[in-house]
Amino acid sequence: MAKNFLAAQDVCIVAYGETAIGRRTGKTAYELAAEVAEELFAKTGLKPADIDGVTFTVPLSECANPFWSNYATDYLGIAPRWLQTSDIGGASAIGNVARAAMALQNGLCETTMLIGADAPSSKWSAVYGSYRNEFWEPTGIQGPPGAFGLLMNRYMAQYELDFAGLGALAVAQRNGAVLNENAYERFRKRITVDDYLKSRQVSSPLRLLDSVMFCDGANGLAMMRTERARELGFESRVYPFAYSEITNFAGAEQTPDITETGFSVAGPEALAKAGMTPSDIAMFHPYDDFLIAVMLKLEQIGFCERGRGSQFLRDTDISPTGALPINTGGGQIGCGQPGLAGGGVNLVEAVRQLMGEAGERQVPDPGNALVTGIGVIPYGRSWGTSNALVLVN
Amino acid sequence: MNKPEARPRPVPRPTENTRFFWDAARRGRLALQYDPDVGRYQFWPRAISTATGRRNLEWRETSGRGTVYSYTVTHVPTAGFEDRTPYVVGLIELDEKVRIIGNIVGIAPDEVAIGMRVKVVFETLTDEIDYFAFKPDSG
Repeated sequence: MAKNFLAAQDVCIVAYGETAIGRRTGKTAYELAAEVAEELFAKTGLKPADIDGVTFTVPLSECANPFWSNYATDYLGIAPRWLQTSDIGGASAIGNVARAAMALQNGLCETTMLIGADAPSSKWSAVYGSYRNEFWEPTGIQGPPGAFGLLMNRYMAQYELDFAGLGALAVAQRNGAVLNENAYERFRKRITVDDYLKSRQVSSPLRLLDSVMFCDGANGLAMMRTERARELGFESRVYPFAYSEITNFAGAEQTPDITETGFSVAGPEALAKAGMTPSDIAMFHPYDDFLIAVMLKLEQIGFCERGRGSQFLRDTDISPTGALPINTGGGQIGCGQPGLAGGGVNLVEAVRQLMGEAGERQVPDPGNALVTGIGVIPYGRSWGTSNALVLVN
Repeated sequence: MNKPEARPRPVPRPTENTRFFWDAARRGRLALQYDPDVGRYQFWPRAISTATGRRNLEWRETSGRGTVYSYTVTHVPTAGFEDRTPYVVGLIELDEKVRIIGNIVGIAPDEVAIGMRVKVVFETLTDEIDYFAFKPDSG
């Protein structure tokens, strides 16, 4: 196992920011980035000239621009000495925490801003290459819901899937969205397990309420070395403590078990680096493009046995005061998915909780969080990138 | 729900690497890349072997037969599929030990099952492109 470069807690998160998530807002990724940057500047007292390191996630709404990060830093008045845009999809947000930590540790920069901003429900500029034109689009597969429909149906052939367990997750996350003022306004009303079960089939066995909906929004963090954070008087600090990432798990195999994912590697490895087991995790903030992805992560990280994820969700209190709080702010399924800034929804909620600022949905004294990311839907498998980040305070 | 407006189905644009696949399709044959160094097929087509990292690959025409590994019934059509909804998209494990995504046709969606045998059929999209799908293989 690779060494844990985060063990010394020598870098920390000192602030988080998040815009309201909306649908067809007409805003651009730049405008949304500006909103979240303003919040980070206001919270930290820093100014654009103080920021010398920046990370972004690629926006679906701006990815036809090959110079997104140049344009965006110019827009914000920042002159970075270290600049990185990550294109590992929904895995980019926590991936950027690890990358910023390395840049800070190695002296490439002193004060970093990590921003995800996207507006795919207002503007879509993604064009995919590789196999997509010849072997994906003409098949009529319904994009990510189609891929997850294939994954769910295969899971059901190998294991027992209790839809009431997925429904319990949908309900719990929606309860979080009701209490989250940044959630997409239309989603801020409760649903029942029955609503989930009766929601219409999109790519069966996958239902509408299994899925995220593309929205617009932005989120971000400010990170620096811990020593500097102390000097500057940042009392509320959250530490990235262990990280693991894998892309194209089983990618060269022609006939892998598609229900087995990169989390069987990245999950246990991140926990081992942290010296933790699943029972040590106080709250779980998994990337949630589809409910079954959360369920598979529970199994493969080790919260429950293989094939028992839906029963675990059915039988476990996953509310903020429960045995394992999950996506307390609503997650992306509850709040709406701000495109490829989506991974930041789960990440920012974990940081907010660890800073004790989650209000009515606050988890009592959590102490740590496990956050995950998922990036890219590949051909005939589960997903491309799997990553896991342990945060502590 | 309103009936979605019909849009044209995307048509593949063959590349240097995939030309053989589409030429074979026009002859009614499903061709796969074969890596003679390790005796293994791969799909989708690439200009490199994912097993060896070498570009030593051959094209072979196959039986076009396989087994349904998974499938999904699509209720929200993509472009060109508006008049077929609901339709079945399958993940087929070919006898050559690769998996391929394609429509499963000639059977009611609720009769499709994981593990059932299928064989390739082709549908003409343009003068240049015949596109593969799969139908039940009664032997």
